[in-house]
Amino acid sequence: MLKHLIAELVLSARVLLRQPGFWVPTILFPAMLYSFFGAQMADGPAGIYALASFAVYAVLGVGFYQFGVSVAQDRETPFVLWQHTLPGALWLGWAARIVVAMGVVLAAVAMVLLAGRFVGGIVPDGPETARLIAACALVSVPAVLMGIALGSAASARAAVPLSNLLFLPLAYLGGLWVPPVALPESVEALSVWTPTRAMGELAWAAVDGRALPGRYLVVLAGWSLLSVAVIGLAQSRHRRAMFG
Amino acid sequence: MLQAIEAKGLVKRFGGVTAVDGVDLQLAPGEALGLLGPNGAGKSTLLSLVTGLRPTDAGTVTIFGHPAGSDAARRAMGVTPQSAAFPPQITPRELIAYAAARHGMRPDTDRLIAAFGLQRLIDRRMAGFSGGEVRRVALALAFCGAPKLAVLDEPTTGLDSASQEAFQSLTRDYVASGGAVLLTSHHWDEIEAVCDRLTMIDRGQRVLDGTLAEMRATMRINQVSLVVDDPAPDWLPAPDADGRRHLDSADSDAVVTRLVREGVAFHDLLIRPLALKDILATLRHEA
Repeated sequence: MLKHLIAELVLSARVLLRQPGFWVPTILFPAMLYSFFGAQMADGPAGIYALASFAVYAVLGVGFYQFGVSVAQDRETPFVLWQHTLPGALWLGWAARIVVAMGVVLAAVAMVLLAGRFVGGIVPDGPETARLIAACALVSVPAVLMGIALGSAASARAAVPLSNLLFLPLAYLGGLWVPPVALPESVEALSVWTPTRAMGELAWAAVDGRALPGRYLVVLAGWSLLSVAVIGLAQSRHRRAMFG
Repeated sequence: MLQAIEAKGLVKRFGGVTAVDGVDLQLAPGEALGLLGPNGAGKSTLLSLVTGLRPTDAGTVTIFGHPAGSDAARRAMGVTPQSAAFPPQITPRELIAYAAARHGMRPDTDRLIAAFGLQRLIDRRMAGFSGGEVRRVALALAFCGAPKLAVLDEPTTGLDSASQEAFQSLTRDYVASGGAVLLTSHHWDEIEAVCDRLTMIDRGQRVLDGTLAEMRATMRINQVSLVVDDPAPDWLPAPDADGRRHLDSADSDAVVTRLVREGVAFHDLLIRPLALKDILATLRHEA
């Protein structure tokens, strides 16, 4: 089983990392956007919140693009059918994807932290950095689930535009680009129910050293459950179509 | 002895359409079975039941005694799907290593490179591979887990004639060494070159099954082909575009004797066993 898992990890990593179309937007863009906008808009004490916001934005990108797009595209290729004829547990392929996603999340967050240090002049101390990385690992669970839900429900052709359509507005609505206090009142009312706001709140609490806000944990749990339901329905529909 | 494939009463329905309707199938180790049928006959659905990609609605199918789709069944089997596509970022060598790891084996890459002519391709990423090159990789992957059964769905589509001949030779060697092959193909000559036994399905049902030798023995028909100088007797069929007349007969000697007795002037006489596709067409018609 270990040999199989390693083979899946290596395959997943090669496929993703040999696609600049994947790793440029997911690993480099968040740090670039932070450098161009986040670091300029927020300095002083607010700077670390902007850094945390863009770290969450990086996590969201991995979920939407690694899973949202690739799950939809892979599902429609004969390669997946051929993989089903090989021995070994199929869930190991998913496990490998998630492990590789965690690696990509770490790389993307590390790039944002480096941009914070060299462009924004924001250097979180050791405990702040550790808490922020832990928060990013936590929010990667709903981000990945949302991405898989999107990739399961959308066709390969629709997955990229749909990801873009959801990713950017959600980042804005969640206050990842503009602090929530600066959002218009009507947008702020909507913002508190978005997954991105909940992810941001967890990251901001983490760098502050505050307890994670229960309300937003509940919001994220709700989005995660909704995603699991969509995944269940969509995957069962595809299984019937392909293997039924 | 355990059968490589033992299928009994297989049924598969899609809504109101019965794609496979009560098909029995047996394949022994060391045997190659050709699965024939027109487009839409149910061949691919039948293969998906054998490979365990789809569950049956009725009937059972086992691979060396293991239920189709089980891990043990998949371990015993190598598959070349009808349409093959692989991630363009990956090289054949990496894919072979991946497939071998799934089988829990070390990749025997050098043997596969030689067998499938992958020397120039093995370390190139697959983006830009031609259809024939992808097909060669797909064939190599079917054999890389040292399977006891190879399920090959139109394996030589897109291959040049040299690659087709190499594939036929390799498959015959594989069968001679005890491997079992289930093959679908639209190339009659390939079926004839590789398979010992044929099963024909049409509209989801098995309409013919037997060894090629049995079918020939049943038919005992030769094709007499010749060019006749005018006037030709009425009992000979009309000539084709090349001016040749073709006659199927169970007694070709009697045909030639009659021509001589009637003083018919003819030349370029050819007498040969009926081609597989003609035998099958006749048997299918009789069935």
